[in-house]
Amino acid sequence: MPGTTDRGGITLEGISRVFGGGIVAVDQIDLAIRPGEFFTLLGPSGCGKTTLLRMIAGFETPDSGRIVISGREMQTVPPHRRAVNTVFQSYALFPHLNVAENIGFGLRMRGIARAERKFRTDQIMALLQIDDFATRNPAQLSGGQRQRVALARALVNEPEVVLLDEPLSALDAKLRAELQVELMRMQKRLGMTFIFVTHDQQEALVMSDRIAVMERGRLLQVGPVLDVYEQPRSVFVAEFLGLSNIWPITPAPGNTADTPLGRLTIVTPIGNERTAMIRPEKIWIYNDTAAPLDRPNIFRGTVREAIYMGASTQYRVELHDGSIVLALDTNNQAAERSWQPGEAVALEIKPENIILIDG
Amino acid sequence: MSQQLARPIRRALLITSMPVYLLLYAPLALIAVFSFAPAPGGASASAHWYADLLHDPDVLAALRRSLILGIGSSILGTILGTLMGFGLSRFRTRARTGFAAALPSLIIYTPIIMPSLVFGISDLIFFNLMHKATGLFSAGLLTMGIAHVTFQAPYVALVVFARMAGLDPNLFEASQDLYADARQSFLHLTMPVIRPAIIGGFLLAFTLSIDDFTISYFTAGPGSTTLPIYIYSAVALKGISPDINALATLMIATVIGIGLLQYVFSRQKERHPMPRTGD
Repeated sequence: MPGTTDRGGITLEGISRVFGGGIVAVDQIDLAIRPGEFFTLLGPSGCGKTTLLRMIAGFETPDSGRIVISGREMQTVPPHRRAVNTVFQSYALFPHLNVAENIGFGLRMRGIARAERKFRTDQIMALLQIDDFATRNPAQLSGGQRQRVALARALVNEPEVVLLDEPLSALDAKLRAELQVELMRMQKRLGMTFIFVTHDQQEALVMSDRIAVMERGRLLQVGPVLDVYEQPRSVFVAEFLGLSNIWPITPAPGNTADTPLGRLTIVTPIGNERTAMIRPEKIWIYNDTAAPLDRPNIFRGTVREAIYMGASTQYRVELHDGSIVLALDTNNQAAERSWQPGEAVALEIKPENIILIDG
Repeated sequence: MSQQLARPIRRALLITSMPVYLLLYAPLALIAVFSFAPAPGGASASAHWYADLLHDPDVLAALRRSLILGIGSSILGTILGTLMGFGLSRFRTRARTGFAAALPSLIIYTPIIMPSLVFGISDLIFFNLMHKATGLFSAGLLTMGIAHVTFQAPYVALVVFARMAGLDPNLFEASQDLYADARQSFLHLTMPVIRPAIIGGFLLAFTLSIDDFTISYFTAGPGSTTLPIYIYSAVALKGISPDINALATLMIATVIGIGLLQYVFSRQKERHPMPRTGD
């Protein structure tokens, strides 16, 4: 095949999908997903991420644009002819078939002989540690077991691309964390392209090679996890991914800008940017008496709230002018480095940690 | 409901429910008891009237016609009703709001809530017209069969529609996603998951046909007397006799038997224990 060099790669060009009533679910999306990548579509519910996934699977037809999977045009290819398998949010296990039959369904539909079917089904069940349930019905399985069966049912076909539509959202926190790691391991081991849809930013950060943040049918930012988190290009991305302090800024002389907190020293003079963002964990906290007053961007205030989260504590600090700053401090020091509500503290906002955002 | 009604109210409800159950089941029990009436000249309970039935050529002929009509119409009614229920459920998933979404229920329920008298008269007029126009459709088992199919199909459709509506729509996408084309999807997913509904629908259709009198009466012709029509004319002619009691008792037993069968099939799809959550 001429396109085999791009096996598992996906290119979307100008993809749009408009539903009845003129609701634009997906709006002119261009995206290239690399072979073997763990790619996450992240966004709030209704942002179009599931619709985009369903167009790649073939359940929805884009109103315009091109979908290329492994070098082949896909617009006119029905779902059952695409080398893509989906793990559904509801798992969608066949109620009339047992676990092994569910997993073997795809192989059976493709006419693969019984012996090979059994070999591959057994293999994937062993890999996902569900071989003990082979003859059970889906209704007899727990949520985590069903999730594994749904994953096995997709992986056993050795597809070029696996699509996962919020597959972990119905599970409790501990199981979810376990399965996140398992999914990543499985993906790296099998080398398939995974496209993962979630509204959970933590999940996206943990699992992905790259993420795309979606809002109202558009891609706001696409990039490696670290880049998107550390260098958000919009207020939406900054706020959706993790905690943030966000202030409007106006230009001031030299390398400074005016904010509601007061004058802030930054690395270079600002241009078109009108918003400054800093992550709470990048703010240093000091006892008021120990504030390093020789350094720029020292703000004094009072702790209003201290939320202890085990490994770290999140502080809400009210500055003297009344504005609120979120700061996060790891609890890796002794008790003298923790503060109670009402205590006077000083905050340091290092210029190099300030992110400037357009508009 | 965690809140219990006050004791006197519960007692009053229990007492008022008694006559209702009595009126429901006492006549049936009475018929069964009377069917074991003593043989002529005899003094003790006997199965004489049952034996009598087996030797009555009119009864046997009516039974044979009822079975032919019942089985034939149920097969056709089940096929058409299944297609109807399946098609309407597909329609429903496309149109979610307004009149279009209500249309499937309307199409299914209208024939069901239509009085059978109206149904019977319209069938009578319709077959008359058709007979005059084509020479076919002379009143008999064929017209009765067609009439039965028309009231059976919506019931079957209702059962199949309800089963389809209770399924995760992602199941059908999952089968497509797993390389099943339309034919394979129907064969390996749709058919197996709606099979209990189809069997239940068939049994329902059969009971409906076996005991239908009104519509059968209007569409019957000479020589197409079925059991219900035979019973009606026998009672009209010579009043209630023990052999009619015996026949009625057999019909009650048959219908209860089919009801139990239906229960068994409908239980089958839900026999699995409730899913556990977590690990």
